[in-house]
Amino acid sequence: MVTSGKGGVGKTTTTANLGAALAVRGHRVVLIDADIGLRNLDLVLGVEKRIVFDLVEVLEGRCQLRQALIRDKRFESLSILPAAQTKEKEAVSEEQMRGLVDELAEMCDYVLIDSPAGIEHGFRSAMAGATEAIIVTMPEVSAIRDADRVVGKLIEKDLPIRLIINRVRPEMVRSGDMLSIEDVCEILSGELLGVIPDDEDVIDTTNRGEPLVLDPMNRLGAIFDKIARRLEGELIPFTVLEPPTIFGRFMDMWKAKAG
Amino acid sequence: MQEAQPAYAAASATVDRPLGRAIVITSGKGGVGKTTTTANIGAALAARGASVALIDADVGLRNLDIVMGLESRVRFHLLDVLEEKCSLDEALVRDKRMEKLSLLAAAQTREKEDVDGEQMRALVERLRERFDYVLIDSPAGIEQGFRNAVIGAQHAIIVCTPEVSAVRDADRVVGLLPTDWRPELIINRLRPALVKKGKMLSIEDVDAILRLPLLGVIPDAPEIIIATNRGEPPALDPNSPTGSAYRTIAAKMAGEDVPAPTAAPKRSFFARLFGGL
Repeated sequence: MVTSGKGGVGKTTTTANLGAALAVRGHRVVLIDADIGLRNLDLVLGVEKRIVFDLVEVLEGRCQLRQALIRDKRFESLSILPAAQTKEKEAVSEEQMRGLVDELAEMCDYVLIDSPAGIEHGFRSAMAGATEAIIVTMPEVSAIRDADRVVGKLIEKDLPIRLIINRVRPEMVRSGDMLSIEDVCEILSGELLGVIPDDEDVIDTTNRGEPLVLDPMNRLGAIFDKIARRLEGELIPFTVLEPPTIFGRFMDMWKAKAG
Repeated sequence: MQEAQPAYAAASATVDRPLGRAIVITSGKGGVGKTTTTANIGAALAARGASVALIDADVGLRNLDIVMGLESRVRFHLLDVLEEKCSLDEALVRDKRMEKLSLLAAAQTREKEDVDGEQMRALVERLRERFDYVLIDSPAGIEQGFRNAVIGAQHAIIVCTPEVSAVRDADRVVGLLPTDWRPELIINRLRPALVKKGKMLSIEDVDAILRLPLLGVIPDAPEIIIATNRGEPPALDPNSPTGSAYRTIAAKMAGEDVPAPTAAPKRSFFARLFGGL
């Protein structure tokens, strides 16, 4: 499960690119868009015009699972199960999601579930079938606070947690205007899976529906390749950034709460 | 708009003043700037002399207190008021900088399902009796939390970034609002340089899809991240370009005649995407 608490931190972009990176490495991957009513994973992958059936129709028995899966034209082993756009999140129960994810897990190596923002029903459904969680967050106090809330929910369910820190601006970390990677990891106490710099290419490729890993020259594509390899269990070191200065008030707040 | 009184004086007033406007700030997609917009419009309206109450309706994932720099002053929250564990006055946190600006924080350790819609409606009504503006910061999504945020409002401001996914979600949200509303649009994080290169949707592209009256355009600026981390809304900084954009929006909301935001060059590159929406 790929989740965050706060919206707009890059869950969907991360799901698409990590899925593509795993597929490039030869794994069979299915991406589930669990954001029923506000689907976007189809747009990020550029398959929005090929949707015939959706997740809710599979659960309601209106079509076969295989009929609803859309195979990516660029990566043979990558498929997406789109969310329903005109239904409510309440249309899917946790039990149904668990069954669906189990079925998909038998067919492939990785099932990545793109969670909706928030911690409501849609989040709980997305969590129901997952066996581990990737939290995508940004080095901003509001994103970290929301992620911290999600960590609590995931721990309740005994899901192992790994972190991807997105939209890092190294120059802002250095000038003390952004939380450092070390701060974020300390607050959220999860295993670091990846650090992604802020990059305007992401908006463009998302608008075009092209995963970044398609371009071997793209630095973000290389980063997602590393994240995929870490997910496989490979040990790859991180580049270190400088520590910040102005976040005393929040570090105190979080440490007080943790203690 | 009538000359606003300080919030504490307004507490005793009942039918003598017109009810304030209750406006929900919503988007569908998260992370497009609802909370930052709520804080800055609130601050800009208060700076103009209006009395303003901000409600954080994101129960369980509150952040408006952080953006306002008021997190250490929050003692009671929305659910405490709804459950009559404290009075409304006890829960309203007065802003450090402006006495006409108050915040009602969300509960952090509760669920959105704990909020009763009818109670929420009554609470917004009570705030309208005391404040010129009640701005309700909606959570992302279209679930219970969104419905609770909308229930007491009479008007909506949709915040959207110039990205296809944000525009698609905004379009979906507009469809869920009462049909007699005429929501207004704020386009946030516009990067004119990217629009020129054809790498970002233009104001016209967004307008072609959403067809909503444009309330304002906010340029993308790293200063917003810094301001959020510091808890200082840029709307109060006379030298900030984003602050100036928020002040223009506040002026427009107060009924001033404000020129339309300047248009960026039109691109038809995104035509393929409109079909998908």
